[in-house]
Amino acid sequence: MSATLNKGIGVLKEIIDAPIASFFSSCVHCGLCAEACLFYTETGDPKYTPIHKLEPLRRVYQQEYTLTGRLTKMLGLSKPVTDDELDAWQPLVYDSCTLCGRCSLVCPVGNDIVYMVRKLREGMAISGHAPDGLVEAAGRSVEIGSPMGVRLPAVKAQMKHVLEDTGIEIPLDVTGAEYMVLMSSMEIISFPEYLAAIARIMKQAKKSWTLCSDAFEATNSGIQIGVSDIARVLVQRIVDGAEKLKVKTVISPECGHAYTALRWEGPNLIGRPYTFDVLHILEVLDGFYDQGLLKISGFEEARLTFHDPCQLVRRGGVLEEPRKLLKLVANNYVEMSDPGKMNWCCGGGGGVSAIDEAENLRLVAFKTKKSQLEATGAKTLVTACANCRIVLEEGLEHYKMNVHVTGLTEMIADHLATAEINSREMP
Amino acid sequence: MDHETLGERLREQGISRRAFLKFCAAMASIMALPPGTANAIADAMSKATRPSVIWLSFQECTGCTESLTRSYTPTLESLIFDMISLDYHHTLQAASGFAAEKSRIDAMRNFYGKYLLVVDGSIPLHDGGIYSTIAGRTNLDLLQEAAKGAAAIIAVGTCASFGGIPNAKPNPTGAVSVSDIIKDKPVVNISGCPPIPAVITGVLAHYLTFGALPELDDLGRPRSFYGETIHDRCYRRPFYDQGKFAKTFDDEGARNGWCLFELGCKGPTTHNACATTKWNGGTSFPIESGHGCLGCSEPHFWDAGSFYSALSMPASALSLSTDAAIAGAAIGVGVSIANRFKKRAAKSVHVTATIADLEKQHE
Repeated sequence: MSATLNKGIGVLKEIIDAPIASFFSSCVHCGLCAEACLFYTETGDPKYTPIHKLEPLRRVYQQEYTLTGRLTKMLGLSKPVTDDELDAWQPLVYDSCTLCGRCSLVCPVGNDIVYMVRKLREGMAISGHAPDGLVEAAGRSVEIGSPMGVRLPAVKAQMKHVLEDTGIEIPLDVTGAEYMVLMSSMEIISFPEYLAAIARIMKQAKKSWTLCSDAFEATNSGIQIGVSDIARVLVQRIVDGAEKLKVKTVISPECGHAYTALRWEGPNLIGRPYTFDVLHILEVLDGFYDQGLLKISGFEEARLTFHDPCQLVRRGGVLEEPRKLLKLVANNYVEMSDPGKMNWCCGGGGGVSAIDEAENLRLVAFKTKKSQLEATGAKTLVTACANCRIVLEEGLEHYKMNVHVTGLTEMIADHLATAEINSREMP
Repeated sequence: MDHETLGERLREQGISRRAFLKFCAAMASIMALPPGTANAIADAMSKATRPSVIWLSFQECTGCTESLTRSYTPTLESLIFDMISLDYHHTLQAASGFAAEKSRIDAMRNFYGKYLLVVDGSIPLHDGGIYSTIAGRTNLDLLQEAAKGAAAIIAVGTCASFGGIPNAKPNPTGAVSVSDIIKDKPVVNISGCPPIPAVITGVLAHYLTFGALPELDDLGRPRSFYGETIHDRCYRRPFYDQGKFAKTFDDEGARNGWCLFELGCKGPTTHNACATTKWNGGTSFPIESGHGCLGCSEPHFWDAGSFYSALSMPASALSLSTDAAIAGAAIGVGVSIANRFKKRAAKSVHVTATIADLEKQHE
């Protein structure tokens, strides 16, 4: 089996549904979505207008599913979508779309544009027009278990480090635990602080939790590249793990698309409801605080601001929780411009950070975040997504900005009241 | 009536050269001609032979004639009547019966090809046009006869221009406009219910001065008077631009003279000179008196929804013939069934994608 144009077009015919038909029919070509897209606002190039990125999908819809389109196709007045055309669209559908969903939010007729980009990627991938970086990541996810090639021994090494640092044993494969904690490979490799933070918070809250040796990876390359069949395999692993350990709640880590994939797309992918709940770590922490399980002491005095991960605010509704939590530990918290659901993307979501060819464009798009950040005057940037975090760090490095980036969960863990838990030995 | 030149006629009437020049200047300005044209008008008009005018009244209310006679510049407007030789006009002529009809027939014969034909009122066509007859002859018959020898036709009022109120739904008499019937003569439409008197005189002055009809818009109306909308020139326009609207006829906004758009003013879609020329000798015009424009100089103004609903409201429910609806629904169902099959076919050939499916074979 290999990718072909025919298969790709077949997939597009398959994924075109009532919402897509109504979206294309109701588009009034106002162009407002352009102003909502940071790739357009930073480059001024009209090809980055979100609805324009969907042109191949629109043409397939028109030629296959509308009366006039069928007639013009029959009479040879409209040309079918070609491989060259899809190839030309690859940078528009992948490199310059982070699936941030800002366009969907501003569309005056309510067209969910990002939903359509996600669907168009199905056909792009199956016709062989997905970027190599994403194809490779998807391959590692399926074959190794993680897009970055992380295997269980690496996780076990992390667990050992946490034990040394905090004195807390990380539970693995504990049947009947209340929470099953997932991580993104980025957290396993680059931000080990996350696992330590979880361990300390769970200890203070006296909650039972576990990692799962079959399903520790939360990210879903299938969603990013846009192949539901692969996304389903990856979701199924987590579902199987959680159901085997009979946990009540699976905690999505500080990762935007992992949360979207598992909580919102997952049940539709596997075709049934879960037997457990899925919550983002910030929702869990907020719940702990409300139940009096989170005792905080001390404040961050530095001026800090928060970067809303797109998948959490626009696609997931986690809007108030980070602000409530930040105010517990920060004395000098300032909002960025366009906070919450209208926040601007870091430029690396939707798999863009894994596409090598997109790097230059991504750094151009980062200028939006840069100017937002400069306007706040903050020296610490807090976020709740490991992918945002790495993209932000790279952008700040490129523009030589002296801003420290950290995760909100870690920041909360650093302010836990219990002295015993707080006495972390620095390596 | 003799047909001496206008200049001689005026001197006979004791009208001073000064008063005449003032009239010409006023006409030049009202028709938006360059200021220097006033002298040209005076020159041309004083030399002009008074043309014979035959005025025919059909299905009408005499409001147009009333408008003309109630004009508040009597010396000048009566002067207009001295500019032309009005050889036949129901309401204004002294003669009646056979004598009246004879003067019409004489004028048509003596000035064949030269006289101006003025028409007010619409022409009924249903049932052989029997709904309006004069001296036993239908309006249609009289119009076709008089039009033959006319140099040009001036349709005065909305009825003659566009059918007007007689043409309103359900139009029992089959009323139509002059230009619906006469296709081989130049027709000027001076619409309005009634039209502004100065516009009637202005068109006549233009014809006398230049020997031709003024430039017309797509509805056959002189551009100099109908080129802009009431809204374009309305003194309440600044309130519209600021979004300040009267909501009822006696609220604070109405008292402050705010825009009457929401009370149904048709000014934005009505082309006429009311807002600049005004009525009753320049006293005011409907909007200045606190009522919205009815849009009387536009075709079908009577059927364009309530006078009191805003222009942004639809005039009538969308009507669609049952056949078209059924045909549309059938095509819709057909396409949707075809689409369902196509989608099902696409689904049925779906093979679960694996990593291998993402690599393109390069030959």
